[in-house]
Amino acid sequence: MKPIRIAHLFPDLLNLYADKGNILTLRRRLAWRGIPVEVEQVRRDDPLHLSRYHLVLLGGGSDREQALVGEVLRKQRAEWASAVASGLPLLAICGGYQLLGEYYETAEGLKVPGLGLLDMRTTAGSTRLIGNIAIESPECGRIVGFENHAGRTEHRHLPLGTVLHGHGNNGQDGKEGVRYQNVIGTYIHGPLLPKNPRLADFVLQLALAYAGAPAELSPLDDALELLAHEAFFQRRIVVGRGLRRGDGAGASR
Amino acid sequence: MIGLWIGKCVLWLMQRFGRRATSLPGKMALRISPRLFARLARQLNFCAVVTGTNGKTTTTAMLSRMFAAGEPVIHNAEGANMQQGILTALLRAASWTGRLRVRTAVFEVDEATLPVVAPYLPIRVAVVTNLFRDQLDRYGELDTTVRKVTEGLARTAASLVLNGDDPLVRHVGLSLGTHHVVYFGMHRGHLHPLEREVMRDGAFCLRCGHPLRYDGFFYGQLGQYACTHCDFVQPHPTFCGQYEPGRLHVHQEGLPGMSFPLPTRGLFNAYNALAAVAAARVSGLSAGQIERGLQSFVPPLGRMQPFATTPVSVLNLIKNPAGCDSVLAAIAAEPGDKGFCILINDLAADGRDVSWLWDADFEWLPDRIQPAFCVAGGLRAEDMAVRLKYAGLPAAAIVPVPGIEPAIDAALDRAAARGVSLYVLATYTALYPAARHLTRRADTTSGTASWDAGRKNDETHPDSPPVSRSPESVRG
Repeated sequence: MKPIRIAHLFPDLLNLYADKGNILTLRRRLAWRGIPVEVEQVRRDDPLHLSRYHLVLLGGGSDREQALVGEVLRKQRAEWASAVASGLPLLAICGGYQLLGEYYETAEGLKVPGLGLLDMRTTAGSTRLIGNIAIESPECGRIVGFENHAGRTEHRHLPLGTVLHGHGNNGQDGKEGVRYQNVIGTYIHGPLLPKNPRLADFVLQLALAYAGAPAELSPLDDALELLAHEAFFQRRIVVGRGLRRGDGAGASR
Repeated sequence: MIGLWIGKCVLWLMQRFGRRATSLPGKMALRISPRLFARLARQLNFCAVVTGTNGKTTTTAMLSRMFAAGEPVIHNAEGANMQQGILTALLRAASWTGRLRVRTAVFEVDEATLPVVAPYLPIRVAVVTNLFRDQLDRYGELDTTVRKVTEGLARTAASLVLNGDDPLVRHVGLSLGTHHVVYFGMHRGHLHPLEREVMRDGAFCLRCGHPLRYDGFFYGQLGQYACTHCDFVQPHPTFCGQYEPGRLHVHQEGLPGMSFPLPTRGLFNAYNALAAVAAARVSGLSAGQIERGLQSFVPPLGRMQPFATTPVSVLNLIKNPAGCDSVLAAIAAEPGDKGFCILINDLAADGRDVSWLWDADFEWLPDRIQPAFCVAGGLRAEDMAVRLKYAGLPAAAIVPVPGIEPAIDAALDRAAARGVSLYVLATYTALYPAARHLTRRADTTSGTASWDAGRKNDETHPDSPPVSRSPESVRG
């Protein structure tokens, strides 16, 4: 079997919020099933051949670094658009998620252009939306993690899920993330994948299908991952909700 | 005056009832008279501050011992490094009429607090130990920390004592051109080549955005660096350090070499000692006084701190990836087979986001240490257990036990059964409960060691957290 090839984009620039953990999760969950995997780190000055990859991961960085990345990415806009249209699985988190849209408007009113793959815009708010978050996704069940973003994102696609607790895309409409073709965008880190094994396998399944090896993934012993997911949900979401009932946080609005 | 009295009353009451008064008296006093801080602070003749991400507490403690070898000095308690903690230290030294009995102070100052307190304190010397990623959810992101530190230092007329091996600190130094700046750094002999792909916060030039080229690393982002595009380069250090177990040799530009006792272990502690020596020299202290200070230094809580449990246990504070990596490296250098107990809390003082666990190099455990077992405890025991699983530790070696005391008990049982020594790693709010419990376990087995033996009663503990946030609330 030919290896599943994963591109980790700009690990030197977009490395906030432990994207290393997401890569490690994807790598291990393939290896445990005996599926060969290659992860390639693509740096800013490396040529990017999207057609090489079966899965692309775009993480988050600080404002300065994100602007640098946006500049580099936009040079290959056409290639990105056709890769996504042909079903390239793309997982974009935090800053990477914002870069998929038309622009990111800073607090000073400066519009930093994004890749424009999605009908989506992000505007910096006066406060950061920070805290534990849980959402319900129709495809992957409950997803838990942490969010920390100043950007308020609005789009007209399907969300990744609806907010059970936390802020989500903009703290207003109760939606979190985006689902479009084989693109998944989200503000959730923590990191995203280790405690959400169903989502991790959903992403891997997309990558396998795209690689032309549409095998069903064999089940793994996820006892520890599910224990961590459940413990987090019980102690940090259910309890947190009980304490904060009435302040209007979350999907109740 | 009312604020002063309230503060001193709270201080007295807390001491009277054996509580840890490190911040609360200052907090209460500040609420009543916001100008009290300025009134006390302006009576100081000399103030040195230490800020940065890692090593603040140790560096401050060493520097204050050096000053104390010559004159009385005011010094804030471990971790109480925001305005209320500094005010509590001032209140301790103030009379009931508001006169300071001691006029020299050495303070550990939180990076974000520096701009707030800098205008009021007569800061003559300011040390920046390093700038690593720390508690992102508190400050947003790293650029903010660099900006706050620069902003704070700009509000002083201090001589700056900066870590030249850290490109982010070097950047701070360059942007404060009108200050008197001296750099400290390690000798090239301690450099080692890059071993594995790790995240480095300072890997890009903050001036032009181009990548930095490294010829070697000390640890984390500290190393010998130069920008690939502009003239940004590691400065030649005024104070150059060379260490061997138990000793630190310091070469000060233009002077014969000096050599000091090094009362702590590991490269990161050698950096702390070097920073303190440099600051003391810039403050005009003699080599003899510095040596006496270092000799009287007792390592702070949770820095390779041994307990006489059966078997022996060693406690370490971990709070961010760089600090955690240096702790793991120091433990790997210890002889003998090992068991681990890693206690992860996510309260405000720890940082509510635990994603840093994935940036820390826990791969050291399976790759180099191969522990007999690893108990994961604290409020986020299960998150830590998952991290260890993905680091590659065998499933049978991973034992999640929520809570602090149950986790330590489980780990001590296993360590005794396997005949290995136990290394306990704990985040900030887990550290004190862990130390307390290890002391109890040491008392019941041997009745000798005490975790706060030789330290002043109530100076090293933070105020107890409110009941609802106490680690005990995890049970169930």
